[in-house]
Amino acid sequence: MSPKLYRSFQALLLLAFGLFLIEKIFSGKLTWYINMRFFPLTLIGIALLIVMALAIYLHDRLETHEEHADHEHNTTPLANLIFLLIPLLIGILIPARPLDSAAVDSKGVNVSSPLVNSTTSTQQMQIAADQRNILDWIRIFDGNTDVTPYLGQTANVIGFVYRDDTLPANQFYVSRFAIVCCAADAVAIGVPVQWDHASALAENTWVDVKGPVKSTQLNGHPAPLILADAVDPTKQPDQPYLFP
Amino acid sequence: MESTTSSRPLPRTLALLIVLGVLAAVLFSIVPASIFNWLGEKLNVFATIFLGIFIEAIPYLLLGTLASGLIEVFIDRTQMSRFIPSGSFTSALAGAVLGLAFPVCECGVIPLTRRLFHKGLPLPAGIAFLLAAPVFNPIVILSTAAAFGWGKMLAWRVGLTLLIAVIVGLVFSVGKNDATSILLPASVLHLEVQEDAPASLLEKIRRALVIGADEFFEMGRYLVVGAILAAALQTFLPQGALLAIGGGPLLSVLVMISLAFILSICSTVDAFVALGFVGTFSFGAVLSFLVFGPMVDIKTIIMYRQVFRTRTVVYLVVFPFLMSLLAGLTFNYFFPG
Repeated sequence: MSPKLYRSFQALLLLAFGLFLIEKIFSGKLTWYINMRFFPLTLIGIALLIVMALAIYLHDRLETHEEHADHEHNTTPLANLIFLLIPLLIGILIPARPLDSAAVDSKGVNVSSPLVNSTTSTQQMQIAADQRNILDWIRIFDGNTDVTPYLGQTANVIGFVYRDDTLPANQFYVSRFAIVCCAADAVAIGVPVQWDHASALAENTWVDVKGPVKSTQLNGHPAPLILADAVDPTKQPDQPYLFP
Repeated sequence: MESTTSSRPLPRTLALLIVLGVLAAVLFSIVPASIFNWLGEKLNVFATIFLGIFIEAIPYLLLGTLASGLIEVFIDRTQMSRFIPSGSFTSALAGAVLGLAFPVCECGVIPLTRRLFHKGLPLPAGIAFLLAAPVFNPIVILSTAAAFGWGKMLAWRVGLTLLIAVIVGLVFSVGKNDATSILLPASVLHLEVQEDAPASLLEKIRRALVIGADEFFEMGRYLVVGAILAAALQTFLPQGALLAIGGGPLLSVLVMISLAFILSICSTVDAFVALGFVGTFSFGAVLSFLVFGPMVDIKTIIMYRQVFRTRTVVYLVVFPFLMSLLAGLTFNYFFPG
């Protein structure tokens, strides 16, 4: 491959990465991969990718005597291009999907989230009962010694259905993934739900669960249990993960 | 000159692809469909985790390679020897605190270290920089403080990292005190021929960007491989199983060190992840996670192997491992809580 052609491909690939990230931002799918709080960082990355592509493009036009500028290629540059195509191919060919119950199998569902300690449960107390999400409920039950004020309150949470062998047949987990930095550190958290028709629910479908909360014990941890009045199928939310 | 080296491996790759294709076709006809459903689901999980690590790391790697490009263009060898003292200990110490000037994570620091060696940075200083910079820099100090507050965890994380970096730097100063003795021959950068007339500032910046882009491609390749390995491990090895081993002063440290190794998350954000383990794991175990992770993980080992000789890579993995383990154990046994 001539140095010139290599340079062109390099610039193209940098631009493609930039466009790939821009598409993820505009389609709202960036949060399927990383926590919202690193959004500005991705913007910096996009800017650098585009500026570098531009610099290479100008480089190409200004310098015809590439040979001496290109002395630093130790490995075959073509291989570098092919390897960096891999993330783009994975991102384009494998349909984008947020982590779901298939990922719970390898990560395991947590009723007492290890993320509990990052905030005190006083914040969760101020949220109205029907506004609390799964993480809020778990924090309340893990952080408070006395949960009696919360018993009987009506919960209204959204999550996907997950089952495991430890739950009786009339129960399932309404679950979400909590992401601190990126999908690599995702932790599945879930609140057990008791519902007569629980066994009719398909795994991994998104549901809206309403019902009073009672207290239970799971793996020796205090945990909420929702006695569902209604379990309605719902759309996957735009932000499928929770960000503690 | 490049076309001869780059075109040769192609036919072999092509043959390999054809063989793989035939194998896949045979597999499709023999194996029941349910396995493919399962694999398909796992493939989705794998893709999401892989892209998560990759998208998170790209900006930091770009910043690291850009810094390397800027150093190449704006700093020459004589300036370097003026800033960095030549004695082993002082030089290692200077290398360890050099990170304050470079906000890089453990991916970006590798090309940057190689560049600094190229500019004449003494061996102990470079090694100490390599190990300390991913923690001892403004971004990581701030993110650790944001997660844990300005307290014990931050102080010990920074202190231990500097200590380990200086010690390992000193270990490398025994014997030949020359960077080329630890770098792979292919990875030694050749001296720049700078006989051209002094370039304008804009032209210099443009050149730095091109060098940065080149290094992004060179290092990005190993980031891709490392992220694939880390994502595959996470997809098929249940993390719950690892955490379930949990307790015990020794096991808890080993679990957290393995977790730091497998997760391969960027040092700039790992404090937030570590925070999640505070309730479940002891102070010493979480500290070992925060000290060991930025020095060694799956993707850095792959990237180290690209730049350093095998023996150097072994040292760079074993010493931080033993010292992080020792630190974690010391806290668990003598200062639990």
